[in-house]
Amino acid sequence: MVNWLLIGIVALAVIAVLYFISKRNQFIRYENTIDNSWAQIDVQLQRRGELIPNLVETVKGYAAHEKSTFKAVSDARAAMMGAQSPQAKMEADNFLTQALGKLFAIAEAYPELKANTNFLQLQDELSHTENKVAFARQHYNDAVLQYNNAIEQFPGSLVAGSRKERQMLQVPEASKALPKVSFA
Amino acid sequence: MAKRMLLEDQIRHNKSVTVRLFLILFLILFAIVFGVGYYLQVTPWVTAGFALVFGLFYLFMASSFSIPAILKSARARPANPMVREEKLLMMRVEEMAIAAGMPPPKVYIQEDKDINAFATGKKPEESIVCFTTGALAALDQEELQGVVAHELSHIRNYDIRVTTYAIALIGLIAMVGEMVVRSVFWGGARHGRSRDAGGGNIILIVIALALVILAPILSRMVYFAISRRREYLADASGAQLTRNPDGLARALQKIAGTQPEPSHGDRTVASLYLDNPFRRGVRESAFSTHPPIEKRIERLRQM
Repeated sequence: MVNWLLIGIVALAVIAVLYFISKRNQFIRYENTIDNSWAQIDVQLQRRGELIPNLVETVKGYAAHEKSTFKAVSDARAAMMGAQSPQAKMEADNFLTQALGKLFAIAEAYPELKANTNFLQLQDELSHTENKVAFARQHYNDAVLQYNNAIEQFPGSLVAGSRKERQMLQVPEASKALPKVSFA
Repeated sequence: MAKRMLLEDQIRHNKSVTVRLFLILFLILFAIVFGVGYYLQVTPWVTAGFALVFGLFYLFMASSFSIPAILKSARARPANPMVREEKLLMMRVEEMAIAAGMPPPKVYIQEDKDINAFATGKKPEESIVCFTTGALAALDQEELQGVVAHELSHIRNYDIRVTTYAIALIGLIAMVGEMVVRSVFWGGARHGRSRDAGGGNIILIVIALALVILAPILSRMVYFAISRRREYLADASGAQLTRNPDGLARALQKIAGTQPEPSHGDRTVASLYLDNPFRRGVRESAFSTHPPIEKRIERLRQM
């Protein structure tokens, strides 16, 4: 009789330990997904920063006098490359997107520039990185949501320990009116 | 939030229907195997073992040779990044792969005037999406993105595998059926022996035969039902990726406005295409691989 009780308790303990381990591993998997999504965003922002000097040079060849726009783009780029935290980077990138929008609006007035294959390629490439950033952010936020649910919902919350809710990457208020995804 | 719940409910519903349909397919297989076993007076285990070996062999063959065969029959070639349209498609694919959190599939192009696309591959890591030149010419980038998301959802939802397995099961059921029909015509001696043993069970034999004849038709209908379900599922999860159901809806609308031309390609993979390249159904029939376009657009508009 006592033996059966003992076996029961041991079995329960084993199940509890197994649950604990699998839950912990799940949390770690989610954390890695989040970190990896951020790395993806970071790579794309970097790539974006590298494309911009080329673009500015190309546009300068046709519209040299639009100095204030070039400066705005360069400043926004420098701010984005220099930003530290994910949220700050995203916000700086948002300003960059707006500055680029003005640059592309100017390009509309120069038919020869618009016909330049190099310019076209850069434009495609830039909107590509912009979309990648947008979708990587979406994936990042999905991963954060999944993670937050996992550590807050019972019984996972028992295993979560000192794990804290992660923050989603917010879209700055100013840009909400803009379409999230843009195509050249 | 209410919108998202709706979408996720749709996805869950579509998945559970697929599971149920697969169970029916298995039931048909079991029924036919034991029907045959009864008819031939063999131990059920022998028949079942036979079916299992054949099934695994078939599955192996189907999954190892399907991708090159599909690409060849569609006359698809890898996308050329030097052509702007194709480069843009590759970009859209890469973007949606990021949204889905999966490795980007290889991009292929099929020279065809119709607006269409398909996905294939063994698993998400080794998958392919193929677009027709007609799709590249007719769709704008937002619509293209919607279609890419639909195809990537087929990959991510393992529809490629669902289709491969479903086709293998159907092939198996048809094969067993054929074997029985042959044994009826050829195996006179064996038939005599079974008459000795079976006695007056002629009714049961008739039932078994009817089962064998009906099973391939039934299994095909189940497969088409699975395929239609997966189509809705890919539409819904694709919209979840782009957060823009309108893009795909407009692309479908453009397809609805055209008539398909006689296409080349592998009919068995029709269910992997964005829309059936061989036949376009107006009503939802038991023998169509895709739901009617109007219904799909309607559901997308509701998201």
